[in-house]
Amino acid sequence: MALPLGYPLRNLVHRRLRTGLTVAVIALVVIATTLFLGLVSSMRRTLATTGSPDNLIVLRKGSDNDGSSAVPLEAHQALRFFDGVGKSAAGEPLASPELVVQPFFKTEAGGRENVLVRGVEPIALAVHEEVRIAEGRMFEPAQGEAVVGRGVASRYRGAQLGRDLRFGRRSWKIVGVLDSDGSSFESEVWVDVRDLAADAKRTIPYSGLRLKLAPGADRDALIRRIEADSRWTLGAKPETEYYAKQAESANVFYVLVVGLAVLAGFGAAFGATNTMYSAVQARIAEIGTLRALGFSRGSVMQAFLIESIGLAALGLVVGVAIAVPLAVAVSQALGGIAFGLSTFSTSVITLRVSPFDIAIAAFLALAVGVGGGLAPAWRAANLRPVEALRKG
Amino acid sequence: MIELRNVSRFYRRGADDVHALENVSLEIPAGRFVALMGPSGSGKTTLLNMLAGLDRPSDGQISVAGRKLNDLSEDELAAFRAGHMGFVFQFFNLIPVFSARENVELPLLLTRLEKAERRQRAETALRIVGLAGRASHMPAQLSGGEQQRVAIARAIVTDPEIVVGDEPTGDLDAKNAEEVLGLLRTLKREFGKTVVIATHDPRAERYVDEVLLVDKGVFMGSRPGATGASPVSGTAR
Amino acid sequence: MIKFIPFVWRNLMRNPLRSMLTGGAIMLALAMVCVLRTAPEGFDRFLDNLAKNSRISIHNTAGIVYGMPYAYLARIKAVPGVVGAVSWSWFGGAVDRDKGVTFPNFAVDADAIGVVFEDLGIEPAAIEHFRSHRDGALVGRMTMQRQGWKPGDEITLVGMVYPVDLSFRISGEIPAEQDPRFWFHRTYLEEALRAQGIPSDQVGMIWARIDQAELVPGVMKQIDDMFRNSEAETESETEKSFFQNFFSLLQGFIVVFLIVSWLVAGCIVFIAANTASMAVRERMRELAVLKAIGFRWRLLFTTLLGEAALLATVAGALGALLSLALTRALATQAAMTPTMGPLAGFVVTNWMLVEALFLAFFIGILSGVVPSFGGARRSVATTLREVF
Repeated sequence: MALPLGYPLRNLVHRRLRTGLTVAVIALVVIATTLFLGLVSSMRRTLATTGSPDNLIVLRKGSDNDGSSAVPLEAHQALRFFDGVGKSAAGEPLASPELVVQPFFKTEAGGRENVLVRGVEPIALAVHEEVRIAEGRMFEPAQGEAVVGRGVASRYRGAQLGRDLRFGRRSWKIVGVLDSDGSSFESEVWVDVRDLAADAKRTIPYSGLRLKLAPGADRDALIRRIEADSRWTLGAKPETEYYAKQAESANVFYVLVVGLAVLAGFGAAFGATNTMYSAVQARIAEIGTLRALGFSRGSVMQAFLIESIGLAALGLVVGVAIAVPLAVAVSQALGGIAFGLSTFSTSVITLRVSPFDIAIAAFLALAVGVGGGLAPAWRAANLRPVEALRKG
Repeated sequence: MIELRNVSRFYRRGADDVHALENVSLEIPAGRFVALMGPSGSGKTTLLNMLAGLDRPSDGQISVAGRKLNDLSEDELAAFRAGHMGFVFQFFNLIPVFSARENVELPLLLTRLEKAERRQRAETALRIVGLAGRASHMPAQLSGGEQQRVAIARAIVTDPEIVVGDEPTGDLDAKNAEEVLGLLRTLKREFGKTVVIATHDPRAERYVDEVLLVDKGVFMGSRPGATGASPVSGTAR
Repeated sequence: MIKFIPFVWRNLMRNPLRSMLTGGAIMLALAMVCVLRTAPEGFDRFLDNLAKNSRISIHNTAGIVYGMPYAYLARIKAVPGVVGAVSWSWFGGAVDRDKGVTFPNFAVDADAIGVVFEDLGIEPAAIEHFRSHRDGALVGRMTMQRQGWKPGDEITLVGMVYPVDLSFRISGEIPAEQDPRFWFHRTYLEEALRAQGIPSDQVGMIWARIDQAELVPGVMKQIDDMFRNSEAETESETEKSFFQNFFSLLQGFIVVFLIVSWLVAGCIVFIAANTASMAVRERMRELAVLKAIGFRWRLLFTTLLGEAALLATVAGALGALLSLALTRALATQAAMTPTMGPLAGFVVTNWMLVEALFLAFFIGILSGVVPSFGGARRSVATTLREVF
């Protein structure tokens, strides 16, 4: 004979304090883990998803950073015609010469940060396929115009569409906002390479080149050819490999964040288990009565399972309802979470809680809610009724 | 030894006003073994609580061992109980994490006695109740009757004038109940203690000097117990 | 009072599972709090140390990468109040090409380095060796230890930014625990670059030491005024301000961490309070018996509170120990990131451990107060009435 659904559900409502406490603890677990997981996945998304496997990044040999490399003009002029380099619809080689400089920018909050400014030619948009002009338009060459990444627009003073942004030695007019699915290009400002070279007084105008492979091209052959060319000392690698290496510098933060998430999750899980345990203890006499009346062990356990799942579900809903807007609010308030160690420039990370993060938190909530409530319920259901009544 | 004058007690339970005691006046002389008897809910436990200094009357006066309990603060009442009373309850008397000896020592922690002295007195008390051999056992290892006897040992370890029991035999079988009652009688006979118990165990009549009857919060009068002592006076109004 | 300790301990052990779960939660939470404090605190300590000296940094207003002409150095030295000035240029060399740059290395002006960085306490013999050997190098303690170098060792750095590899002789150590820096002669780099046909008349930064703290603002203004409207305008700031700015970008992280740690701490107080109230409720009758015997409510209150506090403090101690282990792991990982500098400390100081214990104790008291008070205060008669 199974207990009616009303029993577990009414218990949830009737014992408001106990329900409230347990839901609060589970919600806290959910909030803590989703925020931390969200931080990690947001970081991963920004740092590690940049770049395309079909693109090669060409830098001076030995350089691991396109901010500290130099590639001569002649190299660009030769490499763009190499076999394997793709061509645009108009027949132009998909070779983007780029100059990277890291000037100071001022954040809305008054901090001073290095931002990656990339001097490019219009062909860059074709080479970096993931980059799109989301608002406004691309800059016109030699006009002192700039397009800013979404992250930049949200974090720095004067970096919004239509404004005049001051960096380096001069002012630049922002004519567009670029979007790149959250990858690190959104933390950059793109300007005309000649304007930038003049402002930064670079005699070798390019830091590096990005080449898009032609469909079916032999990537490794092209890399070998570039690196073997004795006119210059260059190194080439796929873009994805290059950015993956950069992401490694974030390792210490991954370790820290994941470590803390585990601590927080366990700590709060222990606590939630404890709360559920004691809640069941308080009802041992009740359980004994039910058993004495004739309800089977299975039916008692089932009732408790429903209650536990109910609590976990409530905790999850409350937790997510708080965590998601909290993440957005924090991200907004801070102008994105800034991070940047290896490239000597700042990556702006928008803290976003993904469905995957929520799924993990849900799993944890369920595990805590069910695990914590089931073990003591099992014990109680298995006591002989007389003992249970006496213990209560 | 114990005197109640016009004592009443009422309190709220949920939405109701409960009159647990109405205008009770009685006296219990020193050295008596008295049982407060009456049906369930009669107020005998409340009455017991009153004279034991565990609860305060809403009205009326209580004197015990020459002290007016009404005048005492909470802390003074606690000290008074520690000095003059011993307690035995129906169940959950003993602290489960302490052994029999340690339970008996408990009241002595309130004194300035050294550890060795405390231990000695506890063992003496246990000997009196016949459980010297079980001193190191935990309550869970003792039977119901043995637990109650340990409780009695604890009740006398400070040598109080008065021993108070609330349904001391309530949870025991016939044999153990008789043993406990016999022990309580011994306390009166050999140690001159005043013993007051609240009970509805009919067996108690055979051991006590006098039975005080309580019903619906009202003192109904008294009759002698099987030991045949002269009755104590008490009027209902 | 001491005689009641066994009582308190036995009560805790009555329900070992519950005590362990609660203790476990408190332990983890405190480990977290300790770990989270280390980086910002280490950084604050670092900044406080800097505030004491009168060193300023000068760089191009547009950004460090924009550089300044080397000629500025002489002019800055000439400003009254400037005791000494050196230039710094980022070399970015690596010990192992594959591993990349693992510590910051700079080409500096060797002659004045001892004067400008006097407060670092570098051994005079080391400074002398450095000055008299073109290929000398002064290395921060952290890097010395990580690389296993000793003074006199010969090592090579592969140029990752410039196309030159340079060999050095270690002159000595910069004796600060968290210091990862590597300094060598600017002239040495200049020569090597000239051989490759690469000009090197720009510097990234100039550090200058000012005679007295009060003169600092005036000198900074004078320097910036000197170069205003020139090709490379300068921005001078104190060393403390420089590092503050450098790491300001990590604010966001810290905020998220703080939010989460407060959440977890709150959670923990909840749990501990719940445990305490469960414990009290279970022992209601015992408490009544004790009060009947004559134990005063204040004493009972103290033992109940003591139970919560004891559990929390022991758990806190374990948590503090756990944090020691965690920070060690973090510090090792952080060592791989050259630019973390003073943030890579992750050091749990003794003081922090003590504070963690106090915090745990406080949590115990806070969570135990209400249930203990309620339990102890309850009148015996009320309890007996409801129970019997």
